Amino acid sequence: MKLRCGFFKFTGCSGCQMEILRLEDELPPLLEMIEIAYWPMVTSKRWEENLDIAFVEGSVSTPREVKEIKEIRKRSRHLVAFGECAITGCIPSIRNFMTQSEAEETVYEHTDWIESIKPSEISEYVRTDISLPGCPPHRNTILEVIKAVALQRKPHLKHHSVCVECKLKDNNCLLTTEKRPCMGPVTNAGCGAICPSLNRECEGCYGPMSAANASSQSQILAEIGLSMDDVKRKFRKYAGTTDEYRKEAA
Amino acid sequence: MKPAKKLMKEELGQFVDHLSKEYLVYGPVARRSDFSFQEIDSAEDLRFDYTTTTIPPKKFFHHRQTLLRYSGEDYSELESTLEKRFLLLGVHSCDLNAILRHDRLFTRQFHDPYYLKLRRNSAIVALICTHIGNSCFCASLGTGPTIREGFDLLLTDLGNEYLIEVGSSEGQRMIEELNLQKANSSDLEKKEERVKLALTQFVKSMKMDGLNQLALKYLDHEVWSLIGEKGGLAGCFACLSCGNCSLVCPTCYCFEVADIPELSLNQGVRIRELDSCQLLEYAEVALGGNFRRDRKARVRQWMTCKFGGAGGGFDSSCVGCGRCINACPSHIDITEVAKSLRGE
Ligand code: SF4
Ligand code: SF4
Ligand code: SF4
Ligand code: SF4
Ligand code: SF4
Repeated sequence: MKLRCGFFKFTGCSGCQMEILRLEDELPPLLEMIEIAYWPMVTSKRWEENLDIAFVEGSVSTPREVKEIKEIRKRSRHLVAFGECAITGCIPSIRNFMTQSEAEETVYEHTDWIESIKPSEISEYVRTDISLPGCPPHRNTILEVIKAVALQRKPHLKHHSVCVECKLKDNNCLLTTEKRPCMGPVTNAGCGAICPSLNRECEGCYGPMSAANASSQSQILAEIGLSMDDVKRKFRKYAGTTDEYRKEAA
Repeated sequence: MKPAKKLMKEELGQFVDHLSKEYLVYGPVARRSDFSFQEIDSAEDLRFDYTTTTIPPKKFFHHRQTLLRYSGEDYSELESTLEKRFLLLGVHSCDLNAILRHDRLFTRQFHDPYYLKLRRNSAIVALICTHIGNSCFCASLGTGPTIREGFDLLLTDLGNEYLIEVGSSEGQRMIEELNLQKANSSDLEKKEERVKLALTQFVKSMKMDGLNQLALKYLDHEVWSLIGEKGGLAGCFACLSCGNCSLVCPTCYCFEVADIPELSLNQGVRIRELDSCQLLEYAEVALGGNFRRDRKARVRQWMTCKFGGAGGGFDSSCVGCGRCINACPSHIDITEVAKSLRGE
């Protein structure tokens, strides 16, 4: 029996869904395993049957999405918070640091046409079963989740720092030796330390790791010369409203 | 012991070429802002003046490995893809001592076939340190800078030439065909002077004796909350639980095992890769239980292990390479922790 999967887009950029299309070589065997019951990006098929796995991309930022996420929860065996927007609010959550009216007036001429609420992670409204971190999640972690559901075991996802992957990649450390503001020590692993491996600081796009110590990280960033405003921006960028980063982002 | 020989510095290229016939040669090279053991194409890339590498030679033996391939109920161990033996050229004393500790650890009660396979496929040309890093403290632990065992060849930079001492029959074979000059007693004296000079360069030290007992006795010592919660030990910040210290530690051996199924689900590979007791998930058990949920408990475990007080005993204890100090974004310094525990 194939796993019946649905892919939903809330407030996000579609990048997480694109990551599945980018599986390319793995797509044929994957389609042996899953049935696409609903995925507006690739098929006009309407959503009818209940799902084994619902992948929800994006944060919840409209009253319609609040209703929809509850409906999806009711009709899915496994609800996957697919990507950072769904888990932490991610980049859209930057606007939670201003008032609703300020955000609306900055962007729209006719704010009375806008029906929007502060973007939030989907677990604000419903219970999620699996969080698939990343902006976007690494393809291997997406496959791991599908395989884990099929095998009825816990997905083997990493919750520790990006630094661990960075060291396993034999990289030199941008933070300690070059005093560059790398967010690796507080960021959830899973990407394989892509950015430091390409001589770019980690921006924190996989959200806070399991035991993130944002307070130490902010002191370290200040020590290497970032202004307190820049430190704030670092924490606001991907997960400013999470419990882990709230204080440092405010 | 075979008599020592001398290699003129301008002959280093020939020496490396000669070794490359038999071995894949890895040695220290400079990168943008650190040194790293990399495959050596030309002796010009070798940086025998290196202080330390970010990642220790443990990456050749115990980092991330595919253990076996499974298919249904069957499995097969993967054959090594290395056609040649490999040689680590320019290994410092701390790292050599760490390798010897891992040799003991992986042959204690169980012989670890994966480690031993790689280890048996390797040879080591060690190098006496002449450039001591600011975080190094092997001298105070008796793990350097002199080297007495564990090498096939041992090099010492004497200025215009390298002194070559032979430590094994394999080492003897490495230089047999080379027409090397014999070293005389004044060369050996020069070596001793070099070592003495190196000894004057150490900034840090640590008194290891009894630290394992102290760490286990003072489980509530203030130092644990300083490094684990508050910060402030010699200017450090609180630990991040990032794991950098143990990933770079040459004697840390803990690893995790995982199966990676293919999409067919009934075939796949089993891998292992380094883990760290600094990570929250390390001590997690079924139903979300965790024996070391507190950051303080984790950083205490790591230090205790480095003091020889954990399961690995002295086979996973500190050799004074200084890497964890360099790699810690929070500036947590094991030598300061030791002092504090001793009440110094
Ligand atoms: S470069 Fe960044 S991710 Fe890599 S070890 Fe350093 S702090 Fe961690
Ligand atoms: S290194 Fe950091 S910013 Fe880059 S992909 Fe990974 S988590 Fe994202
Ligand atoms: S504890 Fe630190 S100094 Fe000691 S061997 Fe490990 S990394 Fe080196
Ligand atoms: S228990 Fe010891 S060897 Fe294992 S990760 Fe911790 S410090 Fe390293
Ligand atoms: S490197 Fe430093 S901050 Fe990171 S886990 Fe080790 S002691 Fe803690």
